[in-house]
Amino acid sequence: MIVPFSHVLFLGGILFLMGIFCSVTRRNLFMIVLGVEIMLNAAAIVFVGAALRWYDLEGQAFVLFVLAVAATEVSVGLAMIVYAYRRTGSVDPSTFDLLK
Amino acid sequence: MQMEFAGFPYLSAILLSCLAGLLLILFIPREKQLQIKWVSAIFSGITLLLAIYLFFAYDKSRGGLQFVEKLEWIPYLGIQYFNAADGFNLPNLLLTGIVFFTGVLTMWEMRERVKEFFALYFLLVIGVYGLFMTMDLFFIFVWYDVSLIPMYLLIALWGTTRKEYAAMKLTLYLLAGSALILPAVLYLVVNSGLNTFDIVALMRPGTFTPSQQKFAFILLYLGFGILAGVWPFHTWSPVGHVAAPHAVSMVHAGVLMKIGAFGVLRVAIFLCPQGWQHWAELMALLAAVGIIYGVLAGLRQTDLKYVIGYSSVSHMGIVGLGLSTLTVDGLNGAVLQMFAHGVMTALFFSSVGYIYDRTHTKAIAELGGLSRIMPVASSYFIVAALASMGVPGLANFWAELLVLISAFRVYPVRGLLAIIALVFSALFMLRVVQQTFYGPNNEKYATLQDVTFGLGMPRMILVAILVLFGLYPSLMLDMIETASIPFINGLP
Amino acid sequence: MAVLWSKDVTLLAAVAATLAPFASFVLIMVFTRSHPRLSAGLSLSAAGISLICALALLAGHWDMPEPIQYSGNWLASGDIHIPFGYLLDPVSLLMLAVVAVIGFLILVYSLGYMAGDPGFARYYALMSLFLWAMMCLALSPTMFQLYVFWELVGLSSYFLIGFWYEKFSASQAGKKAFIMTRAGDVAMFVGVILVLLNLGNLNILDMDNPSIAGRIPQNLLTLSALLIFGGIIGKSAQFPLLTWLPDAMQGPTPVSALLHSSTMVAAGVYLFERLFPFFSLSPHAMAAGLAIGTISMLLASTMAMVSRDIKEIWAYSTISQLGFMLMGLDAGSFFSGAFHLTTHAAFKALLFLCAGVFIHKFATNDIFELGEKGSRNLRVPMVCTVIAAGALAGLPPLSGFFSKELILAGLAGLANPLWLAAALLGVFLTAYYAFRPIFIVLFPHHSTSSQKASSASPDSGHEDAHDQAAYRLMAIPLLILAGMTLLLGFFQYPLQDFLKYQYAYLGIPADRHYGWLPYVASFLAFGGVGVAWVEFGRPGAARVGFVERIPILFRLFSERWYLDHLYRYLLERVVDKGLSHIFAQNDNKVIDGSIDGLGHGTVESGRIIAFLHTGMIQYRLLAIFVVMVLLSLYFFF
Repeated sequence: MIVPFSHVLFLGGILFLMGIFCSVTRRNLFMIVLGVEIMLNAAAIVFVGAALRWYDLEGQAFVLFVLAVAATEVSVGLAMIVYAYRRTGSVDPSTFDLLK
Repeated sequence: MQMEFAGFPYLSAILLSCLAGLLLILFIPREKQLQIKWVSAIFSGITLLLAIYLFFAYDKSRGGLQFVEKLEWIPYLGIQYFNAADGFNLPNLLLTGIVFFTGVLTMWEMRERVKEFFALYFLLVIGVYGLFMTMDLFFIFVWYDVSLIPMYLLIALWGTTRKEYAAMKLTLYLLAGSALILPAVLYLVVNSGLNTFDIVALMRPGTFTPSQQKFAFILLYLGFGILAGVWPFHTWSPVGHVAAPHAVSMVHAGVLMKIGAFGVLRVAIFLCPQGWQHWAELMALLAAVGIIYGVLAGLRQTDLKYVIGYSSVSHMGIVGLGLSTLTVDGLNGAVLQMFAHGVMTALFFSSVGYIYDRTHTKAIAELGGLSRIMPVASSYFIVAALASMGVPGLANFWAELLVLISAFRVYPVRGLLAIIALVFSALFMLRVVQQTFYGPNNEKYATLQDVTFGLGMPRMILVAILVLFGLYPSLMLDMIETASIPFINGLP
Repeated sequence: MAVLWSKDVTLLAAVAATLAPFASFVLIMVFTRSHPRLSAGLSLSAAGISLICALALLAGHWDMPEPIQYSGNWLASGDIHIPFGYLLDPVSLLMLAVVAVIGFLILVYSLGYMAGDPGFARYYALMSLFLWAMMCLALSPTMFQLYVFWELVGLSSYFLIGFWYEKFSASQAGKKAFIMTRAGDVAMFVGVILVLLNLGNLNILDMDNPSIAGRIPQNLLTLSALLIFGGIIGKSAQFPLLTWLPDAMQGPTPVSALLHSSTMVAAGVYLFERLFPFFSLSPHAMAAGLAIGTISMLLASTMAMVSRDIKEIWAYSTISQLGFMLMGLDAGSFFSGAFHLTTHAAFKALLFLCAGVFIHKFATNDIFELGEKGSRNLRVPMVCTVIAAGALAGLPPLSGFFSKELILAGLAGLANPLWLAAALLGVFLTAYYAFRPIFIVLFPHHSTSSQKASSASPDSGHEDAHDQAAYRLMAIPLLILAGMTLLLGFFQYPLQDFLKYQYAYLGIPADRHYGWLPYVASFLAFGGVGVAWVEFGRPGAARVGFVERIPILFRLFSERWYLDHLYRYLLERVVDKGLSHIFAQNDNKVIDGSIDGLGHGTVESGRIIAFLHTGMIQYRLLAIFVVMVLLSLYFFF
């Protein structure tokens, strides 16, 4: 392994924090979904790195699951955002507080 | 897998014919209302016939549990499918059959969403039948909840006065009851160390220590007591009776409240006899207060169904009083009262159903003078009122007689209170009868038809049963004695 | 028991006598409600069968040293055994015969009286039920069975009093009768249970056995005797539960006749006869009974003195005569009570049936109106009324004189002369109130009456034969009853002979005769009649009674000593607006209120917690991350 595992961890951590920052601060539903995707990918990177580090394929298998979950999550999330946009004409998360 | 069947499984056959009826109803197109009603009548009739057969086939000289059906279901948890009949549950099974069948006939003129109504009605009755015949604690809990949910829907969808409120109140009350029952049941099962839900195995003397019994008994008593309308947890019952459609009121007051009393008997008293002895004084107090309270609170009601609801509170107090006396007579009277009261309230609600369908009102003040216009329909109600007053010649009289005598013997003051309530119950019922049926002809209702032979059938059956057991109470009492005498003799 | 059915003629007769009316009740209710004639036929034939059987039983057992008892098991539960059976002894046979005879005559009479009523079939069904209940009550061997039929008697009189239920007053009166007697019954029920718990069974023969004194503590015995006497107070309309009986006249007149003579109210006195040895074991209960009988007798007499309603007057007279019977029985003179019950049954039925003829004809109950409309022209009922009133007043050759004289003799034997004085006052008052309506009806004030009557008589000639036939049908029972009223007094010794074995073991001393008593009693009775004559009968009389001249007394008497006001007040204030209101409010406000409050509380607390909940999805995300970071810090470091 050329790249040390600590670097992989560092990259994953940075990406994860960026995802958090994106999903928490942006006032746009799309960006929240995007942030969540970034977090998932950060986790996936760490999984791949760990698989290499310990020569265990389970990590890679998990990544496939993560991808599948991410795909479904995006499709459902985007569909809901589109629906919400059609209903209200806005993608600002602060306007959706019907359950309050 | 351990199986034990004593001959043809009649008890399961009752459940299966309910289930078959339910499925058939689901497969009939909703437009064919008459067909649905016929199917309901036939299948409920089959269950009634089976119940009658069991009632007469039961070997009174042998006593004990008969028609046993035992099937291991989850051996790991000790859960069995275990049905049996004895002197305590046979009267209740018979009662369920009677109320079920006559309830279907009472709803014969129904028009709205018939299919859903009868499907839910069948589901409700499956739960009731199952609860009465099972000897397994786990199944008691399951059947309890099976009967609860359809009840909510039946009241909330087809009800009349404040139906959502009533349905919600009833459900919450009964769930509160089941929230008390479940921990107590689990507590008993765990503490027995037998890893079984089998009531017969658990009720062996010495299984539980007295302090365990005291703790579990009060939980079980309150839990089932809520369902039995024990004062002061009774207020769901009048409201529920009023809101429910007629057949559901019949099942509700006629059978569902008996489930509570039966649960107290079958679970609380059977498993915790020493807890029973410990709490009997309290039971008697609550029951006696309930008896007189129900009657007096009922005096002020202005709605026919409320009146009946409060009379039920009072009558279930008599059941409770009988259960609290720790005597054979008290138990006999209590079980007989369960049966008699069930038939009587079914008759009440069935008659009120007819009156309401014709006059579209249940307010006593708006009625009056009905006796001239519909003499037959009125006389059914009057018979029920007489039964409620404890007039001799109807089944309720004997039950009240036995309970009051044994209560007076054991708890003189509380018994006296219950006996004094007889005066007010007469006042209460006669007032209602006078205001509803007597008095000058009411012009508003002059064109109404009296009940025809076909429509009057359910009421006729109920009256006949009240009179039959009123003239010949031994038919029922000999049966109950086969269970009550060994039970009382076996008490520590 | 089953084996004997066919062989034992006595049992067969008893079963037939009691079963026939019940069978007719069921048949009419189930099958022939819409056929009035058939229903009446059924009911009459059933009553006829009962009559024949009852008389046969009476004749067949004229000399009966030992009571005959039959019983079969009806209900057994634990240690409570309730047998069903028949107890035949002189008292019960006499009562059975009285009920059967009077009942049959009244049913015949009703053919005319009730003709054309829309509830004709129902009327006959209920009358059959009434007769059945009373006959079974009379033959009951245990207090259980007696209680059962006691209730059924009350029930059937409820239906019959409220027979014309379109009238508010009728249904009200029926309800009142049932509830007031129920109040007494509850006391009796408790008393019966007390006996059961101490004695172990409720056989009347066992209860009547003097050895019971050793088996039940004396104060319990007194208590249960007093409680059972409470049932008698309710049923026989004694003080303080006496106001239902005058209201009960709202029923059809034949019903009143039956109710007042031989069934409902007689049941109370009959029960006392039945349990005479039991009561006599408890001197306190006897004293209380004597006091209550006396008070009721005097109270009812005062009420009867001011009433204008003919049926009401006779109703009050019933209460006072029942008071007399209870006084006689409580004084320890068994035969006097039984004898007065028998004679009273005949003359009281006669009084009501005659009143019924007047009411049927003139459609009014008011005695003044009856007089003015010419009731005196109806010869048969008028003569019969005079005979019966004479018997009621205790005028010498009539039956009432003999029986009342016996009661007075019994009272004279008591140490305290107060009771005898009260009874003699009662005799005077009875004669006065019995003849007051007679004179008012016989000698109407307005001379227009004769014109009216004469103009009415050609009218009646035009009336259809139906009315005439009804009148004749009603007249026959009147004549028979009048004959009985005239003659029954002379059967005192045979009857005494018949009843001699009843309670022979008690050794009741034969009633002493007081030579002066009949003279004093007759003098007082004639005095009462005389006062009534002076005030109402003689030509030019003011027709105002001496009581009516004192407004306070008049109001007190005509308002029934304000007893009804008291009951109404209690019912409205204490029960309706008091307890019932409180309980209903408690249900609505306290119990439901707290439950609903619980529900609202849940909803409200949810709302409060919802403030934490800004509805901003990103804050939640942030919260999740913060919590996760904190958790990981906690777990890893």
